Amino acid sequence: MVPSEIRQLVERALDAARTAGASYADARYLQEEWEAIDVQDDRLQGVDRGSTAGIGIRVIVDGSWGFAGTARLGLGELDRAAALAVEVARSSGATKAAPVRLAEEPAREATWATGIEEDPFAVALEDKIATLLDASARMRQVPGLGIAEASMDFWRRTSFLATSEGARIDQTITQSGAGVRALAIGEQEVQQRSYPNSFRGHYACKGYEHVRAMDLVGVGPRIAEEAVALLKAPECATMETTLILDAPQLALQVHESIGHPIELDRVLGMEAAYAGTSFLAPPDRGNLRYGSDLINITADATLPGALGSFGYDDEGVEARRSNIITEGIFREFLSSRETAPEVGEARSNGTMRASGWDVIPLIRMTNINLEPGDSSLERMISETDDGVFMSTNQSWSIDDKRVNFQFGCEIAWEIRKGKRRKMLRNPNYAGRTVDFWSSCDAIGSKDEWAVWGTPNCGKGQPGQTARVAHGTAPARFRGVRVGVRG
Amino acid sequence: MSGPVGEERLAETAQAALGASADGVQVLAFHSWGGLTRFASSHIHQNTWREDIEFRVLAVADGNKTGVASTHSLDPSAVRRAAEDALSIARVAPPDPDFPGLAPPSPVAHAATFDEATADTPPADRAAAVATALGEFPAGMEGAGYVETVGDEVLVCSTMGLQAFGRTTRAGISVLAIAADSSGYVERLERRFSDLDPRVLASRAVGKAERSRDPQPIDAGAYTVILEPSATSTLLQFLGYLGFGGKSFNEGRSFMAGKIGEKLAADVITIVDDATAPDALGLPFDFEGTSARRVVLIDHGVATGVVWDRATAKKAGSESTGHALPPPNPYGPLPLNLRMATGEASVDDMIASTERGLLVTRFHYSNVVNEKETVLTGMTRDGTFLIEDGRIAHGVKNLRYTQNALEALANVEAVGSETEISTEMFFGGSRAPALKIRDFKFSSTTTH
Repeated sequence: MVPSEIRQLVERALDAARTAGASYADARYLQEEWEAIDVQDDRLQGVDRGSTAGIGIRVIVDGSWGFAGTARLGLGELDRAAALAVEVARSSGATKAAPVRLAEEPAREATWATGIEEDPFAVALEDKIATLLDASARMRQVPGLGIAEASMDFWRRTSFLATSEGARIDQTITQSGAGVRALAIGEQEVQQRSYPNSFRGHYACKGYEHVRAMDLVGVGPRIAEEAVALLKAPECATMETTLILDAPQLALQVHESIGHPIELDRVLGMEAAYAGTSFLAPPDRGNLRYGSDLINITADATLPGALGSFGYDDEGVEARRSNIITEGIFREFLSSRETAPEVGEARSNGTMRASGWDVIPLIRMTNINLEPGDSSLERMISETDDGVFMSTNQSWSIDDKRVNFQFGCEIAWEIRKGKRRKMLRNPNYAGRTVDFWSSCDAIGSKDEWAVWGTPNCGKGQPGQTARVAHGTAPARFRGVRVGVRG
Repeated sequence: MSGPVGEERLAETAQAALGASADGVQVLAFHSWGGLTRFASSHIHQNTWREDIEFRVLAVADGNKTGVASTHSLDPSAVRRAAEDALSIARVAPPDPDFPGLAPPSPVAHAATFDEATADTPPADRAAAVATALGEFPAGMEGAGYVETVGDEVLVCSTMGLQAFGRTTRAGISVLAIAADSSGYVERLERRFSDLDPRVLASRAVGKAERSRDPQPIDAGAYTVILEPSATSTLLQFLGYLGFGGKSFNEGRSFMAGKIGEKLAADVITIVDDATAPDALGLPFDFEGTSARRVVLIDHGVATGVVWDRATAKKAGSESTGHALPPPNPYGPLPLNLRMATGEASVDDMIASTERGLLVTRFHYSNVVNEKETVLTGMTRDGTFLIEDGRIAHGVKNLRYTQNALEALANVEAVGSETEISTEMFFGGSRAPALKIRDFKFSSTTTH
């Protein structure tokens, strides 16, 4: 809970903004604590522990937005920041635009917190370091391994949002993640294997129980052996074939080729100059075939424990579950109170989040999930005569309208006559978004479905990093180009 | 509006940490303030201002155990708590035999890096720059982009008696011109807002969008390319990230490892990192307080060196070049002020000398395919043109490149005579010229 003296500061900032001339204002206090621990080989690379706190004041004046955020929370400084937000908004009148109109939203008073079993900040630092050093030591036992890495990250965000419409929302979100990585270094190549996922591991809105549930130490020899073996494995051939993706790789595929294109701010051109736009347009709702009948995509910020879950977004809209794609047909964008009315929607579907107190909220993915099918990885492989099974993302790239993509994975295996065969190095695949999702002919069932946190989603200027997630199971795609070379 | 806090107040606040009962303490203070005005659909849609302050404290216990803690407060009691937290971390950290110790004081060159007018830019001036840029747009074309002005102060001080302080400003404008089926883009970064001319930048972006109307599909394959400075910067900054840092070099992961003295690029390619150049945007010292040196990384195509911080230099038996990142830093030192030496050609010369090729304005969302071989992939965007018989024939639909960056630099046929600072999505800015490169590989195409 945010202390009462902080609430008073937020109320003061809100009053100052209204007094200065804002027709709408919100003031958002955010305090974030973090702890990041990095181990490489037998050395602690560093522990980064810190906190940041500040207030961001967002206003509408004469139909235009203005914003000021400050870490300096003295009364005079807050008053100046509120006045500056109004001055910034007034300056926006230098260019002509239709006045900002916000979708209706009930003003809620609420308190919400992530349910955790074990506070990660209360676990002794030396125990966390020892776990990571143990994990690293197990990887280093494998002959030929170059580098072993292990890391943990913890965040706690405590926020209080007050709006001039009367919303008062207090939230505490706790997030945890950890992972290990083994690197084998050859003359020409570096090969890596990560667990449970690449890019520092597996993340969730959970406490330290999330880390304890991972077998960071026990998995070390397997991934280290795979990294070393990859150096001598044959390269994934260039061909068009059947592709099976594991769930973590599919999570990033969903992220880049569904999660971003459905952001309504991108669709409306608001991110055009930097991150790009989208191939989607408002009339595509209910009409565009995005994928095969098997493709059902939801945006669900209410999933317990998922990294993209919260109680209320940073506009005070309650978290919800939306059907984005149903049986392959595109249905709904991710929206905000400003953008929803622009496409005729009465309400925002609650996706506005800011990475810090010093930046404005943007439309961000929540948990964008590919709903489970009825197959299994084993069955998909057994049904495949010729194909490739790829695991764990290593590289990603997609064009500015989210059409042409190319992904690299850490490891792959050849599939011949229904069996997983030899290991392949440097696997990658490329395609176009709608063609790719239309080629999906099998998705794993809920037994293999899990929510994978993506803690590094970048968007906006100044750059914001959001923590989002994707529920996925392994899936199969036909006629995909793999082994792309320059 | 805010302004500088000043060396004296930052140093005075940092004293609260330097008094901690540790074997040594280093304090890194950042103060940043400024405004960012974004526009899209030809109007200002996001208009923001922010001010942040951070004290990042590194404490040393038992000679070689370290911890880092930080606070975003100018309150000395918060800075003291951060120091105590850093020390509590250091006490439970395992010993680090490679810890190089805190940096000794080193003379720091004073550079003219701060422009008061830029630091004090009112919101109305940024908005006016947007309006000026949009004034260059013809009917039927929409504008998007940003205007930003920022002031920064950085202080490094320690119980070794080191104190380095720098104050910088930065201003940037980007303009994207969007026509029915084409687009054009320009971005510029300078120390002084007054050095940026939104009218000139906008007319250049509009011109590109005009010339690339009705883009034609083109097959993937190998082409002679002319990369404008922004596209060159993408290659340069990925090379900096992948291989010009001392840590990846020591670990053998860098493409430079074992290659010093070898020819890696064409004779016309020289790459340096130089924060002290008058037209660079960096500080004259690093985040350990060591003076930043000019480091020649590739000299006329030959690999000559990498950048070091204190830890990686100690391991390699070398000396810090003043390229440390803020602690704790698992990534090692990086070159944050890369620049490629100019040649003698203009972009027009390059086009005129090209029988068939592609002119690329910029790349989008590039990423690493193979780090040691420096294979990258990414898309073209916002102005890609076919060149035929020494002239721009027409715009083309965008392509995906999948290309070994070092191989591209080995295939350079001409280097531009002018440089620009460009940003790459995941990195800072670098100063680069245009390049003409043969056999640049495009692996697929897209719909627009």
